[in-house]
Amino acid sequence: MNGRARTSWGRFGVHAVLILTAAAFLLPLVWMALTSTKTGSQAASGALQILPSPLSDAPAQTVENYRAVWTDPSVSFPLYLRNTLIVALLSVAGMVLSSAVVAYGFARIRWRGRGVMFAIVLATMMIPFPVIMGPLYIIFSKLGWIGSLKPLWVPAWFGGAFNIFLLRQFYMGIPRELDEAARIDGCSHWGTFWRVIVPLSRPALAVVALFHFIYVWNDFLAPLIFLTHRDQFTLALGLQLYQSKAGNTPWNLLMAASTMVIAPVFLLFLLAQRTFIGGVASEGVKG
Amino acid sequence: MSEGSNPGLGRRAAIGAIAAAGAGFALFGPRGAKEASGGRIVLDYWEKWTGHEGRAMQRIVDEFNSSQSRIFVRYLVTSGLDQKTLIAVAGGDPPDIVGLWNYNIPLYAETEAIIPLDEFDSSYGVRIENYAPAVRQLLTHPDRTGKQRLWATVNTCGTIAMYYNRSVFRDAGLDPDRPPRTIEELDAYAKSIERVSADGGIERVGFLHAEPGWWSWIWGYHFGGTLYDPETDRARADSAENIAAFEWLQSYPRRLGADALKKFRSGFGTAYSSPQNALLTGQVAMVPQGPWLANVIQTFSPGLDYGVAPFPVAEAVYREDEPVGLIDSDILVIPRGVKHPEASMEFIAYTQRPEVVEYLSTAHFKNSPLASPSREFIERHPNRGVRVHNAIAASPRGFVCPRTRVWPQLKDEFDASMQRMWGLARPAREELAAIQQRAQQYLDEAAEQRRRRGYG
Amino acid sequence: MTDRRENISGWIWISPWLVGFLAFMLAPAALSLYYSFTEYPLLEAPVWVGMENYGRMLRDEVFLTALRKTFIYGAISIPLSTALALVIAALLSAKIRGGRFYQAAVFLPTLVPMAASAMVWLWLFNGEYGLINRGLELIGIDGPNWLTSTRWVMTAIVIVSLWGVGQAVVVYYAAMKEVPDHLYEAASMDGMGPARRFWNVTLPMLSPVVLFNVVTLIIGAMQVFVIPYIITKATPGGDPRAMYFYTMYMYDNAFVYGKMGYASAMAWVQLLVTLVLTAMTFAVSRKAVYYRGG
Repeated sequence: MNGRARTSWGRFGVHAVLILTAAAFLLPLVWMALTSTKTGSQAASGALQILPSPLSDAPAQTVENYRAVWTDPSVSFPLYLRNTLIVALLSVAGMVLSSAVVAYGFARIRWRGRGVMFAIVLATMMIPFPVIMGPLYIIFSKLGWIGSLKPLWVPAWFGGAFNIFLLRQFYMGIPRELDEAARIDGCSHWGTFWRVIVPLSRPALAVVALFHFIYVWNDFLAPLIFLTHRDQFTLALGLQLYQSKAGNTPWNLLMAASTMVIAPVFLLFLLAQRTFIGGVASEGVKG
Repeated sequence: MSEGSNPGLGRRAAIGAIAAAGAGFALFGPRGAKEASGGRIVLDYWEKWTGHEGRAMQRIVDEFNSSQSRIFVRYLVTSGLDQKTLIAVAGGDPPDIVGLWNYNIPLYAETEAIIPLDEFDSSYGVRIENYAPAVRQLLTHPDRTGKQRLWATVNTCGTIAMYYNRSVFRDAGLDPDRPPRTIEELDAYAKSIERVSADGGIERVGFLHAEPGWWSWIWGYHFGGTLYDPETDRARADSAENIAAFEWLQSYPRRLGADALKKFRSGFGTAYSSPQNALLTGQVAMVPQGPWLANVIQTFSPGLDYGVAPFPVAEAVYREDEPVGLIDSDILVIPRGVKHPEASMEFIAYTQRPEVVEYLSTAHFKNSPLASPSREFIERHPNRGVRVHNAIAASPRGFVCPRTRVWPQLKDEFDASMQRMWGLARPAREELAAIQQRAQQYLDEAAEQRRRRGYG
Repeated sequence: MTDRRENISGWIWISPWLVGFLAFMLAPAALSLYYSFTEYPLLEAPVWVGMENYGRMLRDEVFLTALRKTFIYGAISIPLSTALALVIAALLSAKIRGGRFYQAAVFLPTLVPMAASAMVWLWLFNGEYGLINRGLELIGIDGPNWLTSTRWVMTAIVIVSLWGVGQAVVVYYAAMKEVPDHLYEAASMDGMGPARRFWNVTLPMLSPVVLFNVVTLIIGAMQVFVIPYIITKATPGGDPRAMYFYTMYMYDNAFVYGKMGYASAMAWVQLLVTLVLTAMTFAVSRKAVYYRGG
């Protein structure tokens, strides 16, 4: 294949460069985690200390840091976690279901206007969120949704252009004979969708669910605009509130809070690494 | 994506378990503190303060809640308070009380997005005469018909004075009991405090405009100028006084070197509330600051020998009995559209009782906004500069930020502009000419907006 | 199964998307177009002002600076991150042991929430205690105050953007695997070394994927917001305009300065600029991109 390194020197060089690269990419996260195990004065001390010292105190200090963040009276991380989970679950459920349905309409039903509508779906991917964020806020406020979590999850129930595109591509790869057989057996579109298409497209649905989950978990701008009550903040917003509240949050605690926000994503990645990387690869290459 | 069948069952089970745990937490996790109100009216009060300052305000809220059984106030800290308030008010879901900044009043008043407090019964006892003369201008603004109304109460008020490190004064052979009164004296003091090492590195300075750099725009006022004339609605950024003031500002980086200063300042923390505060470490001997600095000193360097004096003014402007200084304040307002305006007013009125005002001011180390602070307040105050701060609040030459709705945006421009002048990127005269043009353009746009809507 | 019934079914099946598109995309876009011709302080009803908002942009120095900064950011970060992603992907495709680990390490940062990423970089770039300046200190360099210095802020933001190349690496790596072996073999027979094979075989074969990715990056660069926004808010006393990008000014106009009309006009200009840049990218690359089998 491409440039299979022939000599052992070449191999060594490639390894060395890649190890350095991987280290550079992981360093910020490692440093974040390390900082969260130190005392405030160690984190901000004059000398560069890589590990907490004494090392034997680190476990207790770590627990203390995370406990301090979790129970901070002015910033309620447990509450923000719950809000984020509510938005994530409702939003992911809606996104997967609606995108799957709409993609079926584009992939398996022949109807007039299909080509044009699908082109519009693709075109909407070009519209940046900031372009519509202002009026969207006004629409939500007219609907009486400002002050609730609805602006963050209701729109997901109407599908997302990218996910519709992705699922349609996947459905196209499912042999038509399978659902035509089902149709001949008397299945309606609805029956075909549930009995044939959904079971066969589980990996693609998993990709949609995972990526949408990450999207919701990471989203900052929409919560920043649509959420007003502090009780409804999501974790991303809560993290900023935590950072800004006194102007000089101790770095060890801020890093503990950041670690908490990242940890679930990290865990999911460890468990579903292939789905993630496979998903990204297929999106990019087919797109 | 064909690996759907092969990730081990263990992994799938783990993901399922995580999802289940997440769903469980979403369903049964902690809820927002809808504290048991027992049929009471629950009011949401948005505020900016956390930490020490927040605890003091929380205490007032708690005392209010236990002082009666009809209303329950929730104290909620929010980041980006001005933006969140604008969105919530325009979105029709306003908080019942908001602790904004005084510069927010013009926009909210002109659009009548907050309720004028003089609309409420006078028995609440909230009257403009209660406040120190200079403070009054912070709370009033014309409504749509051009009539001056009272829009807010002061939550706390702080005037900006000069804090100086007396030990450094002594070390430099200066009399700590005779702080500089004029800009000329300030320069002379600063020069005798400055210490530069053999290799050109700055070790100590007397004064830097950029430290802490929170008020980029005030210098002209100390030269007898102003930025805005409300009578004619004209910006005055390029006035002779402002040009003199900002040329004076540029004389510091010219003398000490813009790069050397940058390097010097990167040596101390950007966080003012820390032991690295440059006044506390003695690296900068004189800083313009508000009374809250005394809290920082007490927390991080209780033994610091510091003095407080009015910030110096140009020689021609100096008058001993009428100090010049910025008056800044946090305010309380009631947005239009709240469900129980009189309940909000009842809480606000409670916070304006003299003993409550003085409790909060003392806890925040700030001066009193009231026209006649009590003797005990002055005597027991933890800030040794309280008299100086009060004198500025009472002075006819205490000044406030320009009372126009475009000020928040203009202030951002000024902050950026000050950075350019400080870095000697552009001569003060040119920079001010540019900002004058910009300021007048904003003002004209705002005037046009009022005219279009037929306001007085 | 008449055509007519299929026609109706089709519309029914896509109706969720259609409703969402009308309510949450087309309606706001249309409203935004309308607002762009009004003066709208949010707290009061909009008033029609014609082309005024668009005219004002040309005179608005803050607008022009923000636009220029955003272009500069894109012009630096897009080529750099594309080149970096290609190099890493090429190294990964050298078929060495541990490839999956390296790929995971590079990809992981793309999953980090922007808010958390901003916190981590705030800490790394901190002038006094930040790891970066301490590292520089070890090799005798006195690091700048990255986030408050007007001069270094852009470098810092570009570095942060490079941290997120993982997605592109994965895509390029996958695309490289699909390049048929016989092309490399032929190139080797022609006496090409690895570098020239990469240049003459890999890159042309990858060009459609790279093009798609660059377009995505352009759309993204025009929207850069979260990290500079959080960092600016977190460094009081710095220059609030040091990393003031297009979307930040738009956001401030809409939700802080009470100028929704102006913000809406900016939104439409943003959309047009994005479309023009995308079209230009396609036009320029028409010659350079190689589409296999049409």
